Amino acid sequence: MANELSKGQLVARGLLSQNPVFKLALSMCPAVGMSTSIKTGLMLGVAVLFVQVFSSLTISLFKNWIHPRIRIPTYTLTIATWVTVIDLVLSAAFPAAYAEMGIFIKLIVAFAIITMRLEMFACKETVSDSLFDAVGMGLGFMFGMVTIGFVRELLGSGMVFGYDLLGFKPLLFFILPCAGFFVVGLMMAFFNWIEAKYRDAREQKS
Amino acid sequence: MSNAAFKDITSIVIRLTVTCLLAGLIMGWAFILTHEGKEKNEQLRDEKVMYSILGYDKSNPAPATMAMHTIYRYVLTNGDSQSIGYLLPIGEKYGVVELDLGGQFVRQIPVDAVASKLRNEGERNSVMQQAVGNQTEIRYADSMIIVTNAGERTAYILDGKYPGFKTTIRVKMALDAQFSMLGFEVLEHEEDPGLGAEIVEKYFRGQFEGKSFEQLKSAKVIREDMPDDYRAALTGKITGKEAAEIRQKHVGDDIYALTGATISSRSVLNGNQAMVSKFHHRMTVLDEAIKAQGIQTPF
Amino acid sequence: MKKKTRDIFFVFIAAIVIFAVTAIAMVFPSGDDGFITEKAFEGDKEIVLTTAQPVKNVPAAEAFTVFEENDPDIQVHPQSVSVDGKKIHLTFSDRLNQSNAHMVKAPELAEGTGPVATEVSRSYWGFLLSILISALLINNYVFTKYLGLCVFMGTSKRKTTATGMGIVFTIVMLLSAVMSWLANRYILVPFHLDFLQVVVFIGLVSLTVQAVDTILRKVNPILFNAFGVFLVLVIANCIIIAVPLYMASNQYNLIETIMLALGAGGGFLLALYLMSSVRERLELAQIPECFKGLPIAFIVAGQFALAFLGFSGLQIG
Repeated sequence: MANELSKGQLVARGLLSQNPVFKLALSMCPAVGMSTSIKTGLMLGVAVLFVQVFSSLTISLFKNWIHPRIRIPTYTLTIATWVTVIDLVLSAAFPAAYAEMGIFIKLIVAFAIITMRLEMFACKETVSDSLFDAVGMGLGFMFGMVTIGFVRELLGSGMVFGYDLLGFKPLLFFILPCAGFFVVGLMMAFFNWIEAKYRDAREQKS
Repeated sequence: MSNAAFKDITSIVIRLTVTCLLAGLIMGWAFILTHEGKEKNEQLRDEKVMYSILGYDKSNPAPATMAMHTIYRYVLTNGDSQSIGYLLPIGEKYGVVELDLGGQFVRQIPVDAVASKLRNEGERNSVMQQAVGNQTEIRYADSMIIVTNAGERTAYILDGKYPGFKTTIRVKMALDAQFSMLGFEVLEHEEDPGLGAEIVEKYFRGQFEGKSFEQLKSAKVIREDMPDDYRAALTGKITGKEAAEIRQKHVGDDIYALTGATISSRSVLNGNQAMVSKFHHRMTVLDEAIKAQGIQTPF
Repeated sequence: MKKKTRDIFFVFIAAIVIFAVTAIAMVFPSGDDGFITEKAFEGDKEIVLTTAQPVKNVPAAEAFTVFEENDPDIQVHPQSVSVDGKKIHLTFSDRLNQSNAHMVKAPELAEGTGPVATEVSRSYWGFLLSILISALLINNYVFTKYLGLCVFMGTSKRKTTATGMGIVFTIVMLLSAVMSWLANRYILVPFHLDFLQVVVFIGLVSLTVQAVDTILRKVNPILFNAFGVFLVLVIANCIIIAVPLYMASNQYNLIETIMLALGAGGGFLLALYLMSSVRERLELAQIPECFKGLPIAFIVAGQFALAFLGFSGLQIG
């Protein structure tokens, strides 16, 4: 099956129309648990991007060689390998950031988004297409994390990227762990609302 | 079994094996590349924490004449009687000084070991066991560091852990030679983010800095708002001489509780108080014994 | 149908609790060391000793010495001692660090019983229970650690699916946690292969899922038809990998691991059941168009999480 989308469209799709956080609603655990600030969101995003890109590349490179009966175990093993690699690298190179993210780096192995992209895309398409698809999905995840992190950091501690912007803490509530649920829910609703408005406007025009 | 099925199984097995081998190779290679860096990092981080609680940083580096001496404390059990064994530097090497529970000197045993070797727990335990003999049961209790500057004692660094609101809090603490707090750092905790987790913040930890032994011992946790000038000085909004003056003015204050986390605040204060008073008692006893016996220590 | 689901849910939760309690009770028969039959911390500053016979000679507070296991050189005396029948209350002026074991020594309390020397620590029984309750409520993996949300949101629409998922998950969790413990204890730790934790644990989970799938398909096809679909979802749930990692970093033993797995599985089941009860009702409610589906589910989950925050700091044992 050939892929009709251009490289740019592949990246854009992951960022917007099939955003893994807001649209596909996969990988919600880090979106709620690790989004207290932009920095943590960004760091986890980078890690996921790395794992996604390398796993997609590996699978699409060896796609003709993987026995269909052991497809899923192979995916799991591939992801687990790259997660272990990023886990080791981060703990050696960025110990402070690693300590902050804690167990979530290891949990990337169970993120549904990565397995799903391997199964839906990488095992059928060419290497370069898989690369762009993986980059799109990884960036889309990062975008989702940073957006949620931005809202929570601004409202919760009045800061953006660690810099004190407001000088006061508007709503301490948003930095509390459970506020992640509210922010994600409200933002999903917000995106739905925008989409509905956009659709209405287009329907009226036509 | 049909031939096709057998072929299928063989192919699956071979492919799975190759995949596992490849994965193993990648992971093993990553491990070898990162292993050394990781260990070095851990040591560096440890040192950085120590320097930062002693008040040294890039703009104010530690003097070259500064030295750190580690003392390891063991609980020795021999039948019904217990005693304390301190593994400490004596002259160029290390030695064991055994004190009974009342603080009276029992014996001194020279040990053939250097500081770097003792950092490894397994080796340290075997050195200790050899020194006190096989009939005595040894149990490692804790370690403390004495910081000297040109032979003059300037500070102590202690490790400790105590129960917090949720689980255990692990800290590293620095005291000056008169047992006043220089500062402490929270190494591990699992308090609630946004509430108890604020114990790691400067504006909370800073309240302990400069408190003398007596001031710390009598301090309580109060649920009052922190005065604005004090908060500004602690968070770094006011700096330099002015900040030092404000902090000096409030150094005798009680500990202002964190908003919504009075229990966490109280846990930290109580834990720190217990750590300091135990250490004060121990160090006084050990110093007396060292002095009375004329033991040549580098501190 | 609805009632049946509820029955299954309660029977399963009850089974978890009963299993846990009997497991603990079998492994640890109640302790008894002579004259002192029970000892425990009470509150922040008190130790309570229970004796076999009423205490005759009530000693002064100074006669009791108490020290932490690692600090025999720092001995404290209780501020006051009060005796009430067979119970001796030792009250201290400072807070006791209850995470350390305390040794209590005292002279003879009743004729012919000899001096007292006993160790007071938080009971192991209580510790095990605290692991279970902590994983179930205080650190509920869904509402306070935010794990397993994809599967949680996907299967909490109906009570029947929620209960099915929860039960299958708990069983797989228990099996894979035990296997992970064995692998960790006897392979990874002795050979310093800690960095392979992720690969080994996820491999064991897939293995368990595959094994349960095959066995269930052959042994009980009816049960397989009911629960088979959930098996695939188990592996996409990060809780299943978080539990072995947590177990390894805390160096739990086998019984503690079982408690943790039961608590995590039961906690997931509880969260699913609570959530599905609300979501069944939400379907009848009038919700703004853009909130329908996942957004409102997240907000409800947030409210549950807020409620679960109230368990934080609950002390057991």
